[in-house]
Amino acid sequence: MYKYIIAAMLTLVPLSAQEVKEDMQVPYIPYEIKMGEHFDVIQAQCLICHSFGYIINQGPQSKGFWAGKVKKMKNAFGMDISDADAVMVTDYLFKHYGNGKLK
Amino acid sequence: MQRRDFFKKSLVVAGAAAVGSSLEAASQPIQGQKISEVAFPQKRPMITYSDRPPLLESPRNVFAQAITPNDQFFVRWHMPEIPTHVDLKEYRLKVNGEVKNELSLTLDQLKNEFAPIEVTAVLQCGGNGRSAFSPIAGGIQWGNGAVGNAKWKGARLRDILDRAGIKKGAHWIGFNGLDKAAYYKTPNFVREMHMEELDENVIVAYEMNGEELPYLNGYPVRLIIPGYYSDSWVKMLSNLTLTTDYQKLFFMDVAYRIPDNETESEEPGSHKKVKTKPITTMNVKSMIGYPTNDTKVYFNSHTTVRGVAFDQGKGIKEVLVSIDNGKTWEASILDDGKNGLYSFREFRYTFNPSTYGKLTIMSKAINLAGEEQPLAQDIGWNHGGYKYNGVDSVTIEVV
Repeated sequence: MYKYIIAAMLTLVPLSAQEVKEDMQVPYIPYEIKMGEHFDVIQAQCLICHSFGYIINQGPQSKGFWAGKVKKMKNAFGMDISDADAVMVTDYLFKHYGNGKLK
Repeated sequence: MQRRDFFKKSLVVAGAAAVGSSLEAASQPIQGQKISEVAFPQKRPMITYSDRPPLLESPRNVFAQAITPNDQFFVRWHMPEIPTHVDLKEYRLKVNGEVKNELSLTLDQLKNEFAPIEVTAVLQCGGNGRSAFSPIAGGIQWGNGAVGNAKWKGARLRDILDRAGIKKGAHWIGFNGLDKAAYYKTPNFVREMHMEELDENVIVAYEMNGEELPYLNGYPVRLIIPGYYSDSWVKMLSNLTLTTDYQKLFFMDVAYRIPDNETESEEPGSHKKVKTKPITTMNVKSMIGYPTNDTKVYFNSHTTVRGVAFDQGKGIKEVLVSIDNGKTWEASILDDGKNGLYSFREFRYTFNPSTYGKLTIMSKAINLAGEEQPLAQDIGWNHGGYKYNGVDSVTIEVV
């Protein structure tokens, strides 16, 4: 009942998002990510499940860390990626968000 | 230096000025991160690490008060697909598995057919403060604000299970919510607990601080497990499944685990060899909400430090404050504790700054079991960066 009243009111007065339970939209935030070789693979694969924010806010990490993340995305979360593309993703992440260490 | 460079260059929305040395296992978590210009539904602008899934952190000044406002309460989801709305005509909380009668409850039934229980309890991400660890631990580099305290109201989980009738031998309960993965193959964010871990304080909450739960905090209902880290406080709770045996689940067996030793720590790089355990209950902690790092106060002015302290429900005994870099500590004044053992306790400490320039204020909580908040540098490293609870510290300027 409450919902119908809200719906009726919506046609008359603009309400803030506070009162509306329907169609909550989470805003899009354009996180600035570094451009470089294999970025196209990053864009195609990583964005399926998460924002670039999820990548850049991990902090700079080792090559082993990033390889492990890619492996986790593939084996535990089901990312559909070829072995060759997985290597490209790892290389990109380590080059731009690496700490210079292999392990 | 690398760490400092990283935060300067990379944190675009949650831009931050990192502090601390990379020599210790832990230092202070990052502070002063930028508040996003973009607000999420039912939220004020917050520190925003990701929009999909939403990861929102509360700014430090929120912790000057015992109750965290709903519109500044932190947000952490795991799966990218969160329903854009929940139709209460369709919504059901299902109870199945090893029960005598399967249940399918509407929100109205939860509100009207079970005694309403209120509990004030702290909700804290296991990774809160992760940015304190060095080398940088895996995961989102949260500052201090992946934590909040609210008055929750809901139906007691035990009452719901009693209505379903627990079959003999049902030892485990799995919790699932309405959020979904992008891939069919991705495991659901199902959490599992042993029945013995669930006491009378565990509720299925439909109210948060007297209002419906915000959408991003789990509308219409979420599980409340006072004293435990938030990884098992499943949001948009839709299913309770009882089983006789532990189910092997990714989010139980791999995520949210710490070394199973006395110090809950390990050498960096060794974690595949170390036996682990779930993070479960929270350790003793205090946080300063006022002043913050950017505060200026006048020389000899009446300055009141305010903050909150909590633990897993053993109870806070005292919060000590130091204004001389930890050389001497004085007791602060605690609130009356009327919100119960699982709530934030407010503390305040008043002094008149007697030196000019930078001044560091530290807070340290001690609970009734004698457990004391350690100094950051005394906290051992763990690969997930979980359970950080270092003595809190802010540096202000006396002018």
